[in-house]
Amino acid sequence: MTMLSRVAERLYWMARYLERAEDTARLTQAYTHLIMDIPAGSEPGWDILVRILDAEPIFGEHHRVFNEQNVLKFLIADEENAGSIHYCIRAARENVRTTRDVLPEEVWEHVNELYLFSMENAAKSVGRRHRHQFLEQVINRCQMINGLLMTTLCRDHAYRFIKLGHLLERADMTTRVIDVGAGALLGNKKLNKAVGPLIWAALLQSLSAMGTYRRTIGPLVEADAVVEFVFKERSLPRSVRFCLDGIRQELVPLKNHQDALKVLERSRRSLSRFSPDEARREDLHKFIDRFQIELNTLGTTIISTWFMVDGT
Amino acid sequence: MDNSWKHYNSHKTDNFFDELVTDTGRPRVAARQAVKLLQGMSSEEMAARRGAAELAIREMGISFTIYSEGKNIDRAWPFDIIPRIIPAKEWRKVSHGLAQRSRALNCFINDIYNKQKILKDGLLPADIVLESGNYKPQCANVTPKFGAWAHICGTDLVRDRDGKFYVLEDNLRVPSGVSYMLENREITKRVLPELFKNYSILPVDDYPSRLYSTLASLSPREQRRPCIAVLTPGIFNSAYFEHAYLAQGMGAELVEGSDLFVDEDECLYMRTVDGPTRVDVVYRRIDDDFLDPEVFLEDSALGVPGIMRAWKKGNVAIANAPGSGVADDKVVYAFVPAMIRYYLGEEPSLASVKTYLCMNQPDRDYVLANLDKLVVKPANESGGYGLMVGPHASKAKRAEFAKLIEANPRNYIAQPTLALSTAPTFIDDEVEPRHLDLRPFILHGKNTWVTPGGLTRVALEKGSLVVNSSQGGGSKDTWIVEGSIK
Repeated sequence: MTMLSRVAERLYWMARYLERAEDTARLTQAYTHLIMDIPAGSEPGWDILVRILDAEPIFGEHHRVFNEQNVLKFLIADEENAGSIHYCIRAARENVRTTRDVLPEEVWEHVNELYLFSMENAAKSVGRRHRHQFLEQVINRCQMINGLLMTTLCRDHAYRFIKLGHLLERADMTTRVIDVGAGALLGNKKLNKAVGPLIWAALLQSLSAMGTYRRTIGPLVEADAVVEFVFKERSLPRSVRFCLDGIRQELVPLKNHQDALKVLERSRRSLSRFSPDEARREDLHKFIDRFQIELNTLGTTIISTWFMVDGT
Repeated sequence: MDNSWKHYNSHKTDNFFDELVTDTGRPRVAARQAVKLLQGMSSEEMAARRGAAELAIREMGISFTIYSEGKNIDRAWPFDIIPRIIPAKEWRKVSHGLAQRSRALNCFINDIYNKQKILKDGLLPADIVLESGNYKPQCANVTPKFGAWAHICGTDLVRDRDGKFYVLEDNLRVPSGVSYMLENREITKRVLPELFKNYSILPVDDYPSRLYSTLASLSPREQRRPCIAVLTPGIFNSAYFEHAYLAQGMGAELVEGSDLFVDEDECLYMRTVDGPTRVDVVYRRIDDDFLDPEVFLEDSALGVPGIMRAWKKGNVAIANAPGSGVADDKVVYAFVPAMIRYYLGEEPSLASVKTYLCMNQPDRDYVLANLDKLVVKPANESGGYGLMVGPHASKAKRAEFAKLIEANPRNYIAQPTLALSTAPTFIDDEVEPRHLDLRPFILHGKNTWVTPGGLTRVALEKGSLVVNSSQGGGSKDTWIVEGSIK
């Protein structure tokens, strides 16, 4: 049974937005905790969160100062920022609303509830007092929806395009998490020594990867080891490598996959060639930028191949 | 003591036929078990069942309300828990009449777009048909498979004082409501399961598979599973729920105009992740005028450019075929009995309402002299627009219609006011008689098939004859029950 391009596209975006909502919540959560651990005066700025999401232009339209209040409002409750948690949840719901017939019934109910929850709480959870609870809820609910999808969806086109959206978004967000580390420490040697491990540990936590890191690599959290691990560990569900492998697995059974596979293989090669040991912080940052562009190309190739179908 | 039926017989009058209760106030044979059981319930019990039904509707009908965003389309449809019960023996005659009517109407449409024999033989005046807005010259010289045009027909029936069913009108364009019929049965099963115990009720839930078979039989290609698409105007259409419901029930694709295109080979394709996929049958739920901007309304974004070319070439079947509406004109309605005799050589087995055509001098004279007794309807409007109900109209209104008729007699017909039958309906905390009609659905492809029962619509307001859901109408589950009742 085939699937309408329009439906596939909506499922793909539903998955991307859900993943983005969850990952943004994770990142915000981890960063908030991190800031509290670092002695006043030497903590990195809030602007990093906006920068790594490439969102300065939109941020600049409404805010002048990168302070905690502005940045968190922008990331949690902004109605126009396509990266804000609330925006992502709303967009995910819009996409489910029109594809309910190909999804398990409960998916709509849970996504709709998540939306109602965000409507009610996003704006008032910008401040530190309610923030933690809100982010925690968003993460939990997204995980529940993902679990529901993974355990009930028939392994057909619907599943395939949901997984593509989900993994592509996750790969992208994982590189951004690393970028926080790179950005926070960039050109700050003193900070590097003192708080480096704290920062990397927080980032690992945001990827639910702390435990696995300790077991696989060891108890010491070191920059290069973390980067290597988060980029290349093929058994870690949030590693970039894991996401790319998963994308490959879903692309192979699809018709007309040549272009997309080509782009994907290119990304996989640049990932395996990159070696954090030799790279300076600037190089790491530049690599991430280039890599994100490649992921972006993969996204547009998926769109043009499967969502924009035309006749002769 | 708190029996909700205690006043039923005093509410009821002999002027109307009651579906469940005889003139002497006793339950009809087919309804006896059900009425007995319901009469044994207290008002509180009845109210609890109604509450359960409302809950079920909310649960099943989440799909309605959410499209509204709290604004335009809120659709928790009012449902009365007391079913309407019709004996199967009686229904078989009605069903036969409906099938017969559908066959004749399809012959008529095919004739009009091809040889026009009926016009040449002078059975009805050519200008009535050809000048009607529902006649689409773009459809001429096409004979769809089996000569079938109106594949899905919703015919409105009413029961008059004499207890006989009459055809009020045929809906041959995009009749809706069948999903309510299916949902109503689901709800009754949930909230009054004990009612089913002593009855053998003809099931309705195979409608989607019947619809599928009818549509599949129209496919231009010989295929085990032809590709069927339900074409919807989109999520903001009030019947979207039904479109999605039927698509899902048939395992068909629910598509919008932008999902489809006609390629250079004049075949219809949908855009899928496997590339263009050919569509064999389109069950369209948009009006003719929006179907193809190349042929009908130019600025329609709902349709598919070129779909008429593909249809005329026989590369895709469209249900209902464009132009089918030519047979549901109210003037044409008056000629349906003649059509049945003409095309089928049979006597019509289902009665039509006596119809006066104002374009004929003697009819017109009668209508003008009896405006206070008649219902006057414009020929081309649907949905009860521009209608005058004589007995309820003011003197000024009647005078206004007299003028309208004189100015444009072709455009008006008149019919006697019918005394719509009533059925026990649970209102507040009492059971009272309310008026109702019935819309069965007729599927016509290679064979003709009629739903057992149909959608019963009930006017919830006391004395009202308006059953439309937009104007305070509700609906009831409709049972066709087999004879041997314990």
